[in-house]
Amino acid sequence: MADLLKEIINVVGDDNAISQSPELERYAIEGKTPKVVVLPQTIEEISEILKVASSKSLAVIPRGGGTKIGFGREPNRADIVLCMSQLNQVLEHEASDLVAATQCGITLKAFQGVLKEKNQFLAIDPPHFESGATVGGIIATNDSGPRRLRYGTMRELLIGIRVVRSDGAIVKGGAKVVKNVAGYDIPKLYVGSLGTLGIIVEGIFRLYPIPELSQTYIVSFSNLAELQKMVLSILNSSLVPTCLEVLNPTLIDAISDQLRLNLKKEKYALAIRIESVGKAVRDQVSKVKGICGERGGEGILVEGVVEESFWQEIREFPWSMSVSNRVICKAGVLITDVPRVFQALGELSSNSGLGIYSSARAGNGILIISIEGEMSPIIEATKSLRNLVNSLKGNLIIRDAPADLKSQVDVWGEVGESIKVMERLKSHFDPNGILNPGRFVGEI
Amino acid sequence: MSTKPATKIPNWKKSFGDKLLQILHPDGVISSDDELIVYECDGLTGYRIKPIFVVLPKSAKEVSEIIKLCNQETIPFVPRGAGTGLSGGALPTEEGIVISLARMTRILEIDIPNQRVVVEPGVVNLWVTNSVSSSGYYYAPDPSSQLVCTIGGNVAENSGGVHCLKYGVTTNHVLGLEVVLPNGEIIEVGGKTLDHPGYDLVGLFVGSEGLLGIVTKVALRIIRKPESIKTLFASFDKVEYAGGAVAGITARGVIPAGMEIMDNLSIRAVEKTVHAGYPIDAGAILLVELDGPNAEVEAQTPIVMEVLKENRATEIRIAKDSDERALFWKGRKSAFAAMGRMSPDYYVQDGVIPRTKLPQVLGEIENLSKKYGLRVANVFHAGDGNLHPLVLFDSSKDGEAEKAEELAGEILKACVDVGGSITGEHGVGYDKKRFMHLMFDEQALETMNMIRCAFDPKGLCNPGKVFPTPRSCVEAGRTTYREHPIEKSGLGERF
Repeated sequence: MADLLKEIINVVGDDNAISQSPELERYAIEGKTPKVVVLPQTIEEISEILKVASSKSLAVIPRGGGTKIGFGREPNRADIVLCMSQLNQVLEHEASDLVAATQCGITLKAFQGVLKEKNQFLAIDPPHFESGATVGGIIATNDSGPRRLRYGTMRELLIGIRVVRSDGAIVKGGAKVVKNVAGYDIPKLYVGSLGTLGIIVEGIFRLYPIPELSQTYIVSFSNLAELQKMVLSILNSSLVPTCLEVLNPTLIDAISDQLRLNLKKEKYALAIRIESVGKAVRDQVSKVKGICGERGGEGILVEGVVEESFWQEIREFPWSMSVSNRVICKAGVLITDVPRVFQALGELSSNSGLGIYSSARAGNGILIISIEGEMSPIIEATKSLRNLVNSLKGNLIIRDAPADLKSQVDVWGEVGESIKVMERLKSHFDPNGILNPGRFVGEI
Repeated sequence: MSTKPATKIPNWKKSFGDKLLQILHPDGVISSDDELIVYECDGLTGYRIKPIFVVLPKSAKEVSEIIKLCNQETIPFVPRGAGTGLSGGALPTEEGIVISLARMTRILEIDIPNQRVVVEPGVVNLWVTNSVSSSGYYYAPDPSSQLVCTIGGNVAENSGGVHCLKYGVTTNHVLGLEVVLPNGEIIEVGGKTLDHPGYDLVGLFVGSEGLLGIVTKVALRIIRKPESIKTLFASFDKVEYAGGAVAGITARGVIPAGMEIMDNLSIRAVEKTVHAGYPIDAGAILLVELDGPNAEVEAQTPIVMEVLKENRATEIRIAKDSDERALFWKGRKSAFAAMGRMSPDYYVQDGVIPRTKLPQVLGEIENLSKKYGLRVANVFHAGDGNLHPLVLFDSSKDGEAEKAEELAGEILKACVDVGGSITGEHGVGYDKKRFMHLMFDEQALETMNMIRCAFDPKGLCNPGKVFPTPRSCVEAGRTTYREHPIEKSGLGERF
């Protein structure tokens, strides 16, 4: 083993490798300490590392900013942690084409900083923005935020990709154009693949101009049914909101004081964000107010710094809340089933005494749920939620949880018959099973 | 089932046909020569192969049984929708069958509050919009063939249209699929809800050109009609100026629903036929369509006007009403058909380039046109950089068809050289597979083959398309053979 590690370290040089305790422990994943951590400087080095790892069946754990390292199942093995942080250069930003290419070890924050110079942005707002989430990590986990209502997820934004396959082959997919049907859609295969099909080293993205003005109207409702009518009338109108978020009362209680928004506690809140040219924003906001007024909702209008910190809180929820025992889930249901899930969360909370916080992308049917308390009721609550969501033909995945819970509840849930195809894909792309072994669906 | 005497059908064909008849009603199996002719080619008529049978299943179960039979008998099969494809994607295979989805035409579910429609693959693109239009919704991808082309075909080709810049292409609007895999198994991927765990098999299927299986059910996203639509028409002395205006509009932060350019040759062709009122001496015309909330469209209009003027527009018109808007679009939409007036034959290309490279690539196309002595008319979805150069030729003249193809190939090379693609919406199919190496190196092609092998190790599903050279599945993914765990455990074997 020592010789093998030497071979790996030689690829990057001693200065770019960590092989001693206690530093190594910092890179442990689910309690598994790797034998070596490497920080390659080039794509070619990554290719060399994977060639060695592949031939000797060493398990490789790719790592961006490490913000989502608890995502997925516990890996079966963890020999090499491959850090992408050195590959962090923006390669091209062609503003007139609304396209940029970058190395994927760059943090989203740094990438947005560069794009902002030309008044454009990558239209995605996942959590861990300040704490160093990388572009590659966001692709691998298909993470997203409230803005997905208008702009979609990485699936819509990633138009080209360069990956290093498990055998070291460097492969390009897609192109620098938004419309392209040549061959299979390789970029989409890698979105959400959790590093199990290759190391994502470069991405080409479609961009959007930063809107001239943004305003958010936040309105409280005590009645879920009324709230849902409001959501549906907005979706069924000619309004084009960027975000449509519903916060449950527990979450309002937790963040209201800190935001100094004086939101009504013990009620649900609906936040509608409109972004466009100035006049179009004001025009739409006044329509939103009208629709709310008809339904007896009264709200507040925020913009500027206050608005930004509100959305930052939503974006980072629940990661910004520091608790020891909790599970973070993401549920996907139909838009019309969102109230059902909220109702169930309320019941679960009052029956079990658990703290259940939730924020829903109401126009997408996506709920982010955080359950806090004692481990065994958390596990029961998670199982019962998954049953509910599955019965609604949706799915619930666990984004983060203590090892205890992961050993009792499958992080991913049932995938159905398509798992066979996924296994075959994995076996073609990674015949020796070295990439993030065991972390993905069906223990892929 | 057949009008043809059985004695003339070789035995294996007859026996295979009999087995098909055990699965399908006799009117679902076509075997007579005169009927099979219809299925010899798709919209790309230059290549023709007669299939041994055409089958018309009515359910996923029937599709599955047909495919299982094909597996038993090692008969290749080619899926087909309306046959409007322009790349030969539905070209039959020698000694193979065609599986037509033309009888699976039900709209299964319309769910307005959840903004979803679930359809069978034979449903025509425009029917989807028609089914939800009264509720104020529409289905965004609008390929020019939308009156006849089917959703199943759109899924296979990842079809685009004229509004892709703002609203994306088919893949952005397909959320779930029921698929019959090349081994006959039926699986569901994605669904009406979002973020299904596992690999994005929906994303992989859309645009896979019928090589990964046959889609039997599709869940689509529908979107709300915009409050306001405004169409601007501008003429320019030179096509480069129009190209400059397109880049200028997006650079100013405006993302129109669509932007279309036609050059002088195309303008003259359509004016001869449909009289859309385009100025026939203009170097180029540009259509810009803005949509969205009223106030947004109102705010963007003067910005667009300004950019048009900066780029030396000689005339700008704004459609007063939907009639005038339809007239502006009429010329554009009939451009391909109108080419018949200009030339006995034409060859359509489908390259894509970054918008900013428009003037450069147009210059190169002009040079190539001179070099080959063939006229090239340019019609393109300028907003997303999708060019449709029409190479005009006369197939009755010796060698001219070959010259036209060669010229078209050079145009694609020019597109790839600036970071673009060999196809934006027509697909690779049979026609453009020889150009795949312009865009993809050996590693990329090998990777695509791994995908194909994961779905179709026997290579029976629409073989001979997309890949420039035939590839087997044994060599996929590794240089030396190593037994896979699935094989070791006796669960599968290599073909």
